[in-house]
Amino acid sequence: MVRVNNDNYKGVKMDILTISEYILMAALAIYAIATIRIATRKTISMGIVGLLGLSISVATLLILVKNIYGIAYCETIAYALVILGPIGTIAFSKVIRGW
Amino acid sequence: MADIIILIKSAVMIIAAVLIVLTAFGLIRYKDDMERILYSRVHMLGVADMACVVALLALNEPLLAVTYFFLTPFASHAIANAYYYGEETRD
Repeated sequence: MVRVNNDNYKGVKMDILTISEYILMAALAIYAIATIRIATRKTISMGIVGLLGLSISVATLLILVKNIYGIAYCETIAYALVILGPIGTIAFSKVIRGW
Repeated sequence: MADIIILIKSAVMIIAAVLIVLTAFGLIRYKDDMERILYSRVHMLGVADMACVVALLALNEPLLAVTYFFLTPFASHAIANAYYYGEETRD
């Protein structure tokens, strides 16, 4: 009698999810480097654009780290980044625009 | 059923990764001497923002995704508005 091992099947599925998480992590790392490159341009507006992109990329990266490695406090840092990144961008843009 | 959901999550994350890499390439592709390059970079940033929102939804973080989904248009508009009315003359 041949027994079908279902654990291998589940293992393959889990591997697909993990591999896609790693692919997303690599893409976010490339995006973070690109946004840092944009943030170091000459004008202030470019710095704001770069940092807005960097905040969401690092936040998503931290959520991936929480899912893959099980570090729970990464989620708290991600919440802080997601809320404070756009709010800081809006505040800084208001200052640049002039009241 | 759970396997199908895992496959959908994986596909969504890979598509988001492709969009994010394309955005990174587009951000550093153009030089600063182009006219009004900031608007196009803000526009490119929106692609990566929405890709990250979809990826966060696939990663079971709906509160983060919804929060960022509502905050990022205001931030992009604030940047473009500051550039339009501000005192910066370069770019």
